Amino acid sequence: MKVSYNWLSDFVDMKGISPEQIAEKLTVSGFEVEEVLRMNEHLHDVYVGHIDKIKKHPEADRLVVCQVDVGFKKVQIITSATNVFEGANVPVSLDGADLCNGVKIKPTNFRGVESDGMFCSGEELGIDENYFEGAGINGILILPESFKAGTKIEDALLLNDVVFDINVTPNRPDCNSVVGIAREICAMFGKTFKDFDISYKSVGGNVNDFVKVSVKTKNCPRYMAAYVKNIKLTRSPLWLRSRLFSVGIKPISTMVDITNYVLVEQGQPMHAFDYDYLDGREIVVRQARGGEKISVLNGNTYDLDESVMVIADAKKPVVIAGVIGGVNSCINDNTKQSVFECAVFDLKSVRLTAKKFGLRTDSSARYEKGVNINSPSIALKRALHLVNELGCGEIVDGVIDVCSQKLGDTQKLSLSYSKIIKILGVEISKDKMTKILNGLGIETTISGDTLSCVPPILREDLQNENDIAEEVIRIYGYDVYNNLEGGLFENSSITIGQFEPRLAMENALKNILVDNGFFETLNYSLYSATACDKLLLRADDARRNVIAISNPISEDLSTVRTVMAHALLLDISFNLSVGNKEMRFFETGRVYQPKSLPLKELPVENNRLSFAVCENGFDFFQMKKIVEDLLVGFPLKYSLRRSEEPYLHSGVSADILDESGRVIGWFGKVHKTVLKNYEIGADVFYGELDTDFLVGLPEKQYATKEVSKFPPVERDLAVVVDEKVTNEELSNGIKSACGKNFFDVQLFDIYRSSALGEGKKSMAYKIVLSSDDKTLTGDEIAAIMKKVLKGLEFRFGAKLREA
Amino acid sequence: MKEQLEQILKAGLGEIEGAPDLRALDDVRVKFLGKTGALTQILRGMKDVAPEERREVGSLANSVREQIETAISQKLADLENAKLLADMEKEKVDITEPSKGVKRGALHPLSRFNNKFMEICVEMGFTVIQGPEVETDYYNFEALNVPKNHPARDMQDSFYITDNILMRTQTSNMQIRAMEKLKPPFKVVCPGRVYRNDSDSSHSPIFNQFEALVVDENVGLKDLMMMIKEILRRLYGENIKSRVRPSYFPFTEPSIEIDATCQMCHGKGCNLCKGTGFSEFFAAGVVNPKVLEMSGIDSKKYSGFAFGPGIDRSVMVTNKIPNIKYLFRNDLRFLKQMK
Repeated sequence: MKVSYNWLSDFVDMKGISPEQIAEKLTVSGFEVEEVLRMNEHLHDVYVGHIDKIKKHPEADRLVVCQVDVGFKKVQIITSATNVFEGANVPVSLDGADLCNGVKIKPTNFRGVESDGMFCSGEELGIDENYFEGAGINGILILPESFKAGTKIEDALLLNDVVFDINVTPNRPDCNSVVGIAREICAMFGKTFKDFDISYKSVGGNVNDFVKVSVKTKNCPRYMAAYVKNIKLTRSPLWLRSRLFSVGIKPISTMVDITNYVLVEQGQPMHAFDYDYLDGREIVVRQARGGEKISVLNGNTYDLDESVMVIADAKKPVVIAGVIGGVNSCINDNTKQSVFECAVFDLKSVRLTAKKFGLRTDSSARYEKGVNINSPSIALKRALHLVNELGCGEIVDGVIDVCSQKLGDTQKLSLSYSKIIKILGVEISKDKMTKILNGLGIETTISGDTLSCVPPILREDLQNENDIAEEVIRIYGYDVYNNLEGGLFENSSITIGQFEPRLAMENALKNILVDNGFFETLNYSLYSATACDKLLLRADDARRNVIAISNPISEDLSTVRTVMAHALLLDISFNLSVGNKEMRFFETGRVYQPKSLPLKELPVENNRLSFAVCENGFDFFQMKKIVEDLLVGFPLKYSLRRSEEPYLHSGVSADILDESGRVIGWFGKVHKTVLKNYEIGADVFYGELDTDFLVGLPEKQYATKEVSKFPPVERDLAVVVDEKVTNEELSNGIKSACGKNFFDVQLFDIYRSSALGEGKKSMAYKIVLSSDDKTLTGDEIAAIMKKVLKGLEFRFGAKLREA
Repeated sequence: MKEQLEQILKAGLGEIEGAPDLRALDDVRVKFLGKTGALTQILRGMKDVAPEERREVGSLANSVREQIETAISQKLADLENAKLLADMEKEKVDITEPSKGVKRGALHPLSRFNNKFMEICVEMGFTVIQGPEVETDYYNFEALNVPKNHPARDMQDSFYITDNILMRTQTSNMQIRAMEKLKPPFKVVCPGRVYRNDSDSSHSPIFNQFEALVVDENVGLKDLMMMIKEILRRLYGENIKSRVRPSYFPFTEPSIEIDATCQMCHGKGCNLCKGTGFSEFFAAGVVNPKVLEMSGIDSKKYSGFAFGPGIDRSVMVTNKIPNIKYLFRNDLRFLKQMK
C-alpha cells in the first residue's frame, strides 16, 4: 500500500519529522516500509526556463540556438525540437541532471556552438498526458505562462513528494488508507490527528426521485449511493493529480479522480456511474446469471455466472462488484449526471471473483482485506465534499443507504491493567499506557486495575488484553526486550524434556547408514501420479489410490506420495545426469495412504526409511548386510522371503517379515524396466523399512551365557547339492546334526562347474564345534562330521565333494 | 692343549663376528661345534691329556664352548633382527595412498540443524512431538484463529485436497493438537514438513518448520524473549545479537519477528541480510487467548507463547549454503561437503 508524505501531512503536522524518520518508526511499530520512493529522484537540476530568443544554428539546418532565462542565470540551449517558440516556458535540464530515461546532462558543443543543457519532454520528466497537458506529445513540454522562470521543475509540476510503500498486515485493514497510517504516525510522534472535512452543500431535490437501489444478494451488507447532476467534467487540479500520480493511479477527470482519491485516503473503494446509461434508473446488487457477459474497463469481456456478484441496472450487469467497472456505464466525456456508489462487499466473494478472472484492482485489493461496515458513510461524505471543492457538479439532497448489517456501535472494553503488564513482562506505568493508547485514538482511562477504553470505530481488531498489550508495546518500543534481566524460568514451571521416540530411533538408523557410506537426501512428498506407472505398480495395488491435490502447482507435485522409491530413483537419475557416478542415498519420510477416496477422513501417514545404492560391483548380499546392520539393534527375529515388490527384480529381492509374517520392509535389485523408466543406466539396489513398526518394538534386552573353558575346533566340509537347495537348509541341517556340540557354521565358498554336473553347486562350510566340559578328541570330531554328512546326504541328497 | 683352545676361541669368535648371514653363522657353528668341529676334536682328545691337567683343560674347553655358543646365539639374534629390519624396509607402504573400505556418508544439513535445535529444546524442558501433514482445515486454520475468509489465509496459499482437508501450511497445527491432549504447564516442540502453494522462485513449495509452544501460568513476551535469547546463545555462541520487530500472526497477539546476527557475514552486512547484519530468525508471539479457549484451555488462568525459526534459512546461513535450492536438489557434490 502506497501513501505519500504530502498526503499524510494533510492529517499530521509534519514539522520536524523527516520521511526517513517516518519510514523507520512505521517499520518498528509494525508497518514495514518496503521502499521509500522520491518522486524527484530524477528531477534535480531541471528548472522552468523562459525562451527569450531563438536563432538558427549557423552550421546545422535542423538545430536552433535558444537564449533561455532560468531565473538565476541566462543559458544557451541548442535543440532540434520544432514546437518551441520565443516566449515559451519549458523545462530546462542543466549540467548534472540525470533524467528519468537515463540521460545525463553535460554542457555540449554542437558544431562549434555551446549548449548549456537540454529542453525536456514529458517522458524525460517521467510524466504523461494524463498527468499534465502537453506531457504526452512528441516534443518539448510547453509549460503554462503562469510558471515562473527559475522554479525547480519538481515544485512547478508538484513532483516533490516522497512515497512510502508499506506492508500492511491483515489485522489492520483500517490502515490500507492514508488516514489510517496518519493516525499511526500521530501516535508515534505524539501529534494530534487533523480531522478531514466531510461537510458539503447540496442543491435540494431528493436522491430517491432519481435512483432506486435494491440489494438481492447476501454478499453486500451495505450499499450507499448519492446523486450528482449538472456535471462539468474537467481535469482535476494539479494538487489532486499529483496525489493520485504519487501512489501510482492515473488521473482521468474530476468525478473519477474523486472516487480514487477517496479510495486511497479513506481505504473505501467507490464507483461513479454515468446515470444516463442505467436502464430503468435503478441499481440492483445481485449475483450474475449464467449467460450474462460484461465488457469492462481493461478492455476484456467476461462470461459471468452465479458465483460473481454484479451491480446491474434493470436489464444488465454494469459493474463486477468490488472489482472493476463496465466500459459503458463509466464516466465519459458526455456524462451529465452520475450516481456515486459507496458499498461494503463480502471479502470472500470479491476474492473469489478477482481470482476467477485473474483481476486484481485497487478496489478488489481493499475489499479482499475487509472494508469496515461503518466506512461508507464517512467516505461518501468525503467524496461529496470534494465534489463541492472541485465544483464539478451539483449534489441532490439525501443519500441512499441499504444496510442489512447492524452498524457497529463504538465498543467499550473493560480490561485488566495487570494482565496487560503480565503479557508484556515489562513495567509500563498507568500514565504512560494511557497516553500511548489515547495517542492511537483509543480513549482510555485506568482506575485501579481496570482499564476502560473505547477503540476507534474502525478498529474491530481490538478486543482483549492481548490486543491492547500489542498496541502499547509497539508504540512503547520493542527495544525494551533487547536488554532483559532475570532468570529464564522465573515465571514458568520446570518441565521434563523428552525426545520423540521415533525421531531418536531414526537418528540411530541414519547414523548406521552414514557409517555405511550413505548420504541423506531431502525429497518432496508430493509427486506425479505417473510415479505408480513408472514403478510398475499393478492395477489393483492399493498404492495406486493416491490423494490428489485439488489445486496443484504442477503435474510433478499433483498427488501425495504412497511410494517412497520414486524419490531416491529420481535423485540417482539426476546425479547420474550431472556426472556423479556412484552413490548411496537414504531418506526418511512418509507415505500417505487414504482409507477411502475421495478423502473423508485423514489418511494413514506411515513413516519409512528408504535407502538405495548405485555402485559398480555392489550386490544383493552387500545390501543384505546393510539391512542386517539396521535391524541388529531390535529384538526381532525376522525372516526373508522372495519379494513381490513390482519395482524390484523378482529373483534378486527379498521381503523382510516379522515373527507374525507381517512385511516390515524389503530390499533388492531394482527392476530393469523401472531403471529404464527413470533413465538410469546402471544397476541400483533399493531397500525400505517401516519405521513406525520398528519404533513400536520394545528395547532389545540382552541375556548372556557363560563361554566354554575349552577352545572350539574348526572343520571344513564341502558338499555338492542341487541348485534348489538353499544355504539356509544346509546350515540348519549342519546345526541339527552337530547337536549340543554346535558352535557356529559359515558358508565360505560356492563353486559351480560342468564337472559337478548341470544344476549342481558345491557349498563349502566352516563348521565350528565346541563342548562345555571337555576338549573334543579327534575321534569324537570325526564322528560328528560323519553324522553331519550323513544327515545332509539323507535330507538334501548332498554328496561329499572330492578334493 | 691350552694354547690350542685359546686359538680356537679366538678364531671362533672372530668368524662368528664376521658371519654375514644366518647360513655363514651355521657353517661357523658346524666348523667349531659340529661332530667333526675343532672344539669337538679337542674334547675327544681329552683322554690323551694327563690326568692332573684334565680338570683344568676340561674346564677351559667348556668355557670356550659356552663362549662360542653365547656368541653364536647373540649373533643369531642380531642377524635375525637385521633381517626383520630389512624385510620391514622392503614392506614399506606409501602412507599417502587412500584408505580402504566404505567411506562414511553424511547427514543432510537440515537433519544436523534439526537435531541440534531439538537437543537444545529438550534440555530446556520441551517434549518433541510429531503430527499429521495431511490435516483438517480446523487444525490448520480455524482453531488458530484463521476462520474461513480470513485475509490471513492469503499469506499462506494452501494445497487443498477437499474443502476440508489440506496439506498443512504450518506446524502450528500441532499447537492445537498439543493443547487438546496435554495439561498445562507444558512445553512442546514440533519439527516437520509444511506445504505452501507458492510458485515464487525463491520459495520451495515444501519446506521445514519448527514450532515451539509453552503454556503455563504467568508467561508472556518477556519469558518468550528470554528463551529465544538462550536458544540463540546455545546455537551460535555468546556474541549473537538479536532484535525484535512487530509482526502479525492470527494465533499470537502480540506477534513479533526476531532477527539475529546474520551468520553468513557475522554482522558485517552481506547480500543475504541486505547489508543490515541481521537476518530473520524467529516468528513468535504470545498465544492469542481465543486460541487457548478454542482448545479447551482456561485463558484466565493460563497464558502461552509460541515461536518457530525459519529453518531452511537458518540451515542456509549456518552452513554458508549459497542457494536455498541446494537443500532439495540432492546433488552428491553438495551433500559430500557436509561430511
